[in-house]
Amino acid sequence: MLIIENLTKTYDNGFTALRNINLEIPDGQFVSIIGLSGSGKSTLLRCINRLIDPTDGRILWNGLDITRATDDELRQIRRRIGMIFQQFNLVKRSSVLTNVLSGRLGYMNPVYSLINYFPNSEKERAVAALQRVGIADKANNRASALSGGQQQRVGIARALMQEPEMLLADEPVASLDPATSHSVMKYLQLLNEEDGITVLCSLHFLSLARAYADRVIALKDGRLEFDGLPKDIDNERFKQIYGEDAVEVEIH
Amino acid sequence: MNASASASSGSRAAFRRLLFVGGAVLLLIIFAYGWTVTDIDFSVPQQPQRQENVGNALRELLSPRVFDQDYEILNTTTSFGMSCSDGWSASAPAVDGDQPYIIITPTCAESGEVVTIDGYNFAPDSLARVNWIGSDGERRIRQVIGASEDNFVTENDGTFQVQIDVPRIRGSAGETHTIEVQGRFPIGSPRLSETTLLVLEKMSETIFLALIATAVSILPSAILSFLAAHNLMRPIKIPLGNLLVTFILFPVGAVIGALILGGVGKFAFNLVGAPASTASAGVILLFGTAAATRRLGANALNDHPSIPRTLLNAALGAVAVTAGIGLLGGVSALIGRYTSEGDFGFIGVFLSSVGQLIDLIIVLIAAVVGAFTLSSMGTTLTRDALKEVSLPLSRILGAVLGGVAGIILLGAAATVSLGAAWMGLLPPIIAAALGASVLPSLFQRFFRGGQRQIVLSRTERLLNMALSWIGALTAFVVTFAVLNVGRALVEGSAPPRLVLFNVLGVDLYLYVAEAMLIGAVLGAVTGGIAGTRSSFPAGSVLYTATRTILNALRSIEPLIMGLVFVIWVGIGPFAGVLALALHSIASLGKLYSEQIESIDSGPIEALESTGANRLQTIMYAVVPQIIPPYIAFTMYRWDINVRMSTIIGFVGGGGIGFVLQQQINLLRYRDAGVAVLAIAIVVSILDYASAAIRERYT
Ligand SMILES: Nc1ncnc2c1ncn2[C@@H]1O[C@H](COP(=O)(O)OP(=O)(O)O)[C@@H](O)[C@H]1O
Ligand SMILES: [Mg+2]
Repeated sequence: MLIIENLTKTYDNGFTALRNINLEIPDGQFVSIIGLSGSGKSTLLRCINRLIDPTDGRILWNGLDITRATDDELRQIRRRIGMIFQQFNLVKRSSVLTNVLSGRLGYMNPVYSLINYFPNSEKERAVAALQRVGIADKANNRASALSGGQQQRVGIARALMQEPEMLLADEPVASLDPATSHSVMKYLQLLNEEDGITVLCSLHFLSLARAYADRVIALKDGRLEFDGLPKDIDNERFKQIYGEDAVEVEIH
Repeated sequence: MNASASASSGSRAAFRRLLFVGGAVLLLIIFAYGWTVTDIDFSVPQQPQRQENVGNALRELLSPRVFDQDYEILNTTTSFGMSCSDGWSASAPAVDGDQPYIIITPTCAESGEVVTIDGYNFAPDSLARVNWIGSDGERRIRQVIGASEDNFVTENDGTFQVQIDVPRIRGSAGETHTIEVQGRFPIGSPRLSETTLLVLEKMSETIFLALIATAVSILPSAILSFLAAHNLMRPIKIPLGNLLVTFILFPVGAVIGALILGGVGKFAFNLVGAPASTASAGVILLFGTAAATRRLGANALNDHPSIPRTLLNAALGAVAVTAGIGLLGGVSALIGRYTSEGDFGFIGVFLSSVGQLIDLIIVLIAAVVGAFTLSSMGTTLTRDALKEVSLPLSRILGAVLGGVAGIILLGAAATVSLGAAWMGLLPPIIAAALGASVLPSLFQRFFRGGQRQIVLSRTERLLNMALSWIGALTAFVVTFAVLNVGRALVEGSAPPRLVLFNVLGVDLYLYVAEAMLIGAVLGAVTGGIAGTRSSFPAGSVLYTATRTILNALRSIEPLIMGLVFVIWVGIGPFAGVLALALHSIASLGKLYSEQIESIDSGPIEALESTGANRLQTIMYAVVPQIIPPYIAFTMYRWDINVRMSTIIGFVGGGGIGFVLQQQINLLRYRDAGVAVLAIAIVVSILDYASAAIRERYT
């Protein structure tokens, strides 16, 4: 269970990107976060694993207060929260396998990283993760040699290495074409359904949210604008969230 | 409205034109002044004497004495009748296989007549000359007809045919004179000259000098580059209390480390020697390292390691590291001792000197290890406690810890500044840096109720800046006056060493004590206002300090560094290596850090989000991105170092520069030409190679 209380984030330049957000997300839910660009979606996701330190409010996860965790505690927490990114954030020069293995670092003896050592069991785990996203044959390629959709699947495999209980996905398909977008979203859905991983996924397009999410959260100028079922977003709500001139488009 | 607008735009255009003209005039003045200052005078290079000198020098430089050839001069003679009577006959030439001989036609003639000399079996294409030997036995050079020099050159088959005038010698009629041809014959084949051999030797010294200087600078530069990269350092903030504890324990740890760990290191070093203890030392080293690695790693993995266990691990780790380095030193000294003979003796010599180095600095290493260990132990012990203290207590603690830290900081600065007069500026500068934060935080505290302002208005920012400057200047001036720095600057003498009292055999000087007092006040005020819980931008401070030092070091030319190192370690390549290495560290540190600053930050964020710690994030997200540019810049630096090492010899730093300078001073331009040629070849090969390698990696 993830509980967000009065979450507020004001950046150093004085811009307030999140205002007083309150949310309760039960385990195993597939939640989609929508909103215009600049509405605070990335800020919200990054506050949850504290890549950004919130200015105010609390985030409780399974009873632990993430906002007050020490560095060591934070690393323990982060190990169980996977994250995937719009720009994939892979090390382009490293092999796919190394990129996937690096998702396991939180469980490894840091001294081993000096000699780039991973036990065989971890390598097998990495290959298994790549198999789940269907690109085990690319394990020894350089990450930069893969297509966008394949790179995002490497990103998912890296998150899988963490054995995550929750997955934060920050516009995971915004850089991909529609067909590839659906294939990546299907992997997220699979993990949500098969492994029971809670998924928080920010999306640009409402149609994707409608297709995959159990619940939709809409942000507008850092405020919670809507929180409910995808089907409850009618035309009026849509215009509230995206502005008067917006038209809903379908992604096939 | 319109008219005034166009008028104002017109006057602005006029103003701009005026500015332009003024700028042009100013540039002209600067240029003209520079012209006189640099003594530019075109009449000097036109003086005939100078032109001849430079012509000769250039001619010799461009005729480098690369090869040498030994010669012998063989004389071939035949007799000649002067205005001879009938019946005179010349001695028949000794035509003998491959011996040189000459034939004169006619064999007898009047003064002023032309005779032809045919020569055979001379060295091809080599010099020869004709001498006339009269009845008095005197040898006179006879220039051949049509030549402007005494010498002529033989044909490529070793023959020649030249003509000379029979000289007018009074009263010589009827005498028999001798015509002699001196031919130059090469002995053996051409070989490399002495100069070339010397240049080759010095050139290889030069290349290795550059190689070693570059190689030893790589590791320090790489470490410094991380501290000098703002994208890695700026996010690092730690609570002031933890920082102060760390800072205070650092010197304490250094002393304890030097005393205790130093002993351990020495013991480990000396353990190696006898075979039995050497073997056991090796085993200890192996198992110790393995155990230490596992312990440290396990500690990092453990969810909540107990405090005593963490402390124990830290202490064991420190002992293991020091002992390990000591053992390594002992082992390399030992191997060095047995392998410094024979063809590959240089490997043994190298190992010996590594061992010697470790023996020399093991106490220093122990001090550093001790400092880090004790301060990290202190952090472990106090971190949780410091987090829980109440605000007033945190202020009091901040004042106390800040005061102690201030004493250490300014005490250390003052001790350093005892060294030389202008080092006396160090304490006032540090005091100013501390003082800069006092007034703004006081203002914040008392007029804003201590609220942390996230957004500052323009006026508030200006006010803060003004307060900072006032605080800094005040602290600077007060320290300057109290420590009497002005006198030191004028007289160029270090501060007086008046002993106040003696603590445990260490003299405390009045000057240092005064500085400590200032440090205590500034530190206590700053720490007291901020409190131990406030976050301190440790990363930014470290970044700024590292960058400043690197920039300062980089601004000193290696030639100047070379001058100083020559005083320290004497004339020779060692001084050159030290100078180039120091400059390379500064320069590579900056170049490397710029590469870190330009990496893609996405992978760093991704790895942080997986729970990887800082070391792991750097190893897996940063290092793969910076290796190619690091290789490229290292090659580039080697290239620069080879160029620099060709002239570092001018100040006594070894290598080819020393030879070149000597030859130029002795006006031996043909020999200097060899050195110049060698430099040109090596530099252009390296230029090409380094460009090719850089291209591959960027
Ligand atoms: N580091 C930052 N400093 C200042 N403002 C920021 C920073 N990051 C984001 N913002 C601002 O915060 C707002 C929300 O950003 P973000 O969370 O990235 O929105 P979204 O992901 O919905 O596009 C934007 O207006 C953005 O300009
Ligand atoms: Mg975003």
